[in-house]
Amino acid sequence: MGESESENEAPKVKLRPIVRLGMFLISHSHLLSVVCCTAGVLTLLLLPLLAKNTYISENALMPGSANPMLSSQEVSEANGLVKDLTSLDLKRMASGIESQRLIAQYMSNLGAEVSFQKFYPQSNQFHPLHFFSSPDSATIRENISCSSYGLNTVGIIRAPRGDGKEAIVLVTPYNSEKIGLGEALSLGIAYSVFSLLTRVTWLAKDIIWVVADSKYGEYAAVDAWLRDYYIPVFSGLGIQNAEMCHGLEENTIRERNMRDGFKRAGTMAAALVIKVADRSEQFEDSLSIYAEASNGQMPNLDLINIVNYLAVHRQGLRIKVEKMWSLLNCKWLKILGEILESLGHLAKNLNPQWKFGIPAADYVEGTATLTSSLYYQALGIPTGPHGAFRDYQVDAVTLEISSRVSSNNKGRQNDFLLRGGRLIEGVIRSVNNLLEKFHQSFFLYLLTSPSKFLSVGVYMITFALLVSSLPMVAASLYAHANNLDPSFEKNESNHPASAADELGITLRSWKWLYAAKKVLVVHLWGAVVLLLPYFICQIPNCTPTTSFVVWVLLSIFSLLILFWILGSPFSYVYASQPQQREWALLKSVTISAAFIGLCLMSVINFATAEIGALLMVPMCLMAHPLKLDVKSRKLRNFSRVACNLALGFIGFPPTAFLVFKGVFEGFDGISVGDFWNWLESIWAWSSATYLYIGMIHLPCWILCIHVILHPC
Amino acid sequence: MFGSKVTALSFLFLLLLGFSNCESQTETTMHTNNWAVLVCTSRFWFNYRHMANTLSLYRTVKRLGIPDERIILMLADDMACNARNKYPAQVFNNENHKLNLYGDNVEVDYRGYEVTVENFFRVLTGRHENAVPRSKRLLSDEGSHILLYMTGHGGDEFLKFQDSEELQSHDLADAVKQMKEKRRFKELLIMVDTCQAATLFSQLQSPGALAIGSSMKGENSYSHHLDSDVGVSVVDRFTFYTLAFFEKLNMYDNASLTSLFGSYNPSMLMSTAYYRTDLYQRRLEEVPVTNFFGSVMETIHTDSAYRVLSRKESGSVEIKMSTEKSDHDKERLLLNSNDLDQIGELNTEDQRGNIECIWSTFHKELQKVKDVDSFVNYGLVIMLPLLTVSMWLSW
Repeated sequence: MGESESENEAPKVKLRPIVRLGMFLISHSHLLSVVCCTAGVLTLLLLPLLAKNTYISENALMPGSANPMLSSQEVSEANGLVKDLTSLDLKRMASGIESQRLIAQYMSNLGAEVSFQKFYPQSNQFHPLHFFSSPDSATIRENISCSSYGLNTVGIIRAPRGDGKEAIVLVTPYNSEKIGLGEALSLGIAYSVFSLLTRVTWLAKDIIWVVADSKYGEYAAVDAWLRDYYIPVFSGLGIQNAEMCHGLEENTIRERNMRDGFKRAGTMAAALVIKVADRSEQFEDSLSIYAEASNGQMPNLDLINIVNYLAVHRQGLRIKVEKMWSLLNCKWLKILGEILESLGHLAKNLNPQWKFGIPAADYVEGTATLTSSLYYQALGIPTGPHGAFRDYQVDAVTLEISSRVSSNNKGRQNDFLLRGGRLIEGVIRSVNNLLEKFHQSFFLYLLTSPSKFLSVGVYMITFALLVSSLPMVAASLYAHANNLDPSFEKNESNHPASAADELGITLRSWKWLYAAKKVLVVHLWGAVVLLLPYFICQIPNCTPTTSFVVWVLLSIFSLLILFWILGSPFSYVYASQPQQREWALLKSVTISAAFIGLCLMSVINFATAEIGALLMVPMCLMAHPLKLDVKSRKLRNFSRVACNLALGFIGFPPTAFLVFKGVFEGFDGISVGDFWNWLESIWAWSSATYLYIGMIHLPCWILCIHVILHPC
Repeated sequence: MFGSKVTALSFLFLLLLGFSNCESQTETTMHTNNWAVLVCTSRFWFNYRHMANTLSLYRTVKRLGIPDERIILMLADDMACNARNKYPAQVFNNENHKLNLYGDNVEVDYRGYEVTVENFFRVLTGRHENAVPRSKRLLSDEGSHILLYMTGHGGDEFLKFQDSEELQSHDLADAVKQMKEKRRFKELLIMVDTCQAATLFSQLQSPGALAIGSSMKGENSYSHHLDSDVGVSVVDRFTFYTLAFFEKLNMYDNASLTSLFGSYNPSMLMSTAYYRTDLYQRRLEEVPVTNFFGSVMETIHTDSAYRVLSRKESGSVEIKMSTEKSDHDKERLLLNSNDLDQIGELNTEDQRGNIECIWSTFHKELQKVKDVDSFVNYGLVIMLPLLTVSMWLSW
């Protein structure tokens, strides 16, 4: 339609190239949108092929250039600490404070500055206004019982010739109530490194060792310490609280000292969270890296690179990153991998310079890792205590070391401590060489293996391809809906339009406002749905399933109320407009809103936007009134109906979640309550994904369903 | 009024004459002293080796006899006192740690952020602020042999200074040309250890300059080895093999520049050492390395200890003439300044006599003129009296 018009007008008025390009895109929007969409999905599948090997980008780091200095002497000292801690635990008299005292004693024997930090657990309550807000030190702590507090032990080594402006942080979370062997070993590793660092002459940054009390969760302890570190409390509230509780304890001088002196060092260059897994590996010592922080933020890739380099090339540890294990046995993925491998071989035969083929097994592994990387970033929940650091722009990773055999064997344990300690020492020495913050390497990346990554420039392409079809289709739908009438009129009556006609045309050209209003109302409703869990949480004794049902009912109810208050948006169109155009305009505006929402989300959390686009773009593009399709009774139309129903089913967030959970983890024991739990965890961590689901995805789904069920 | 104008003109023209006389003399000046300018241009701990390179060269030239006051040492960063240095206040260029380069007698003239392209040019061209002490100036003259050693990170036709600015090849060529014109050196050896070092010499055009670089265009210069105790690379390959060559020498050895330049083995260097000799007059085989890296020169016996301009006496006859002339000029100057207010008649006569004198010298000089530059100068000199006479006639 548009094309024919442009042809008619072309000889008369030479249009600008950009306008002609736009017209071309609009007129071929059907074909182009299908091509873009499939290309988007295909490039997503090709991403593991495009991954590049990681490299250390910052010259100053020089990992592994210095020989490790950690010797068996430090390890034997560390062994002493491990033994003392485990014996404390065996005696069962380790009433929290006892183990902290022991660690503090060990620290101060080394000549480090020791301080304690008391913190109170914060309830994970849903605060609708806490999204994107900075951590607040003055949060009112309700129901603090004086007996229940956590106690972090912090030791600081000052760099003898450093300027004291920068620091490197070591974190070892442990449960003060019950110390497992893994936790004791992680303390041992940190202690061996710490004792070495008190003696070395090459420190340029201070070293802070935080022994985080994970009684109330690892993240909470680290977060509490960071909050005190960066946001000092000057108001009397904190002191008052402490004073209130003070009477209950034995009031020794040491206690007062440790409360008064919250010790600080410089700004943090990097933080390492050290953990030792309680489970033991079958074949060799291995190291798992967890890096995802809130809203899919990642530490600088250089930090992961140096850990990877030192672990693999210096300590001979096997590196692991999270994978979707269920994908490893996927038949179709294997077949796809083999096809790609053979294509790679073929390309190599044609031109030896084309090297894009990777072995099928690598492809499957890469895809599994990529999927988990995408998932954990999209979730927006930190995968460990390192996430707390990211909120203060500090690069941090969690290193979980697991030993080959359960280390009852003394020699094995020494070897394990030595390797772990040397790895940490190497990373610290490398970071110590750093002159500025980590800035050289990528912050936006997805890992496909510990030593392969996809940078933002590559993975953005898939998203751009998926999303680019949306504005084209929206424009073409709008053009169609508006062009139908004028051309019709032009053919019918060629005389100059009267004033009334012109008014009519103007009115018609603004009729998309009705659709826009409807879309706006639905999006408002999305915001309301987001806030509902806050109230549902207040209901006592609720199982997840009932909460979910209540939530769904309340949502439907609020939708009806909104329509009632704002007047049914249907009423206007019934009266004046032919239905045919009404649904097209509605779809056009919906698609535009989805496009804007997805683009905004891709800035905040790319992974969420990517997964959301995968679900939403086909649904939005396909949406077509069922009534029209059923009327025409053609095979093509029936297939469209089937597609619409399937996409509408999968596009609904709860069903999408349950289907994917079922696919990845098996369908046994799945209930709708799982979705509620999942959502609860998302809002508890104030992830932007929660906002996305409520404000963009759900309204778009509702509008698409509305288009599908439109009474034409 | 009239007289003063004429005297001023004649003064100007005598100056010009003196200038053109002197220029022909530089080629024949004796090598009388040695200077070294040693520059490390890069900052940061991971560039430890550049400082070690420079300090090694510093130690070598000192050992071979250049005194501290004739070495300008520029170090862009202080590795010895860097907090990351495992051995505080010590710098090594070898992992055996036998030799501390940063011992007691290290005199750093420009350190840290003082090492800039601007200061580097000021040192070379001698255009300092008044307050700059003599120890920070390159006080060389037309009898100086200068060693200019630079190391850092470079690329095609540039050398990076301080991670923020760069020295480009045409800047270097320009500075050398200025030095030549100001007669600040007799011979200059530029030695550069950086990636694509050869490109830095491409614009040089001043006679007397000799240049050697660690690598050709498109090649990298690599470090020699890593000290796993200190945790950094401690020396670059080119400098390492240069030092290895000099370790075998003492200041009485007669090794020639050819033997130094020939000692670089591309397979050991992992790059091709490049040297440019087309601007250098002497044959490299005849030039001992101590001419640049040491301070060895001929001694000349003179009759009296304190004779002004005595070194020019070792030159040929026409130089003697010129010294007489300059004496004569001085007398003239004195006369002019005393008789500034006298009548014009006397001055014009002087002027005439002067012109005749000049014509005769000009004829003599013209026969010896070979290069175009001095010919142009003479042309200018001829123009001036013509102008003066015509002005005087038309007054």
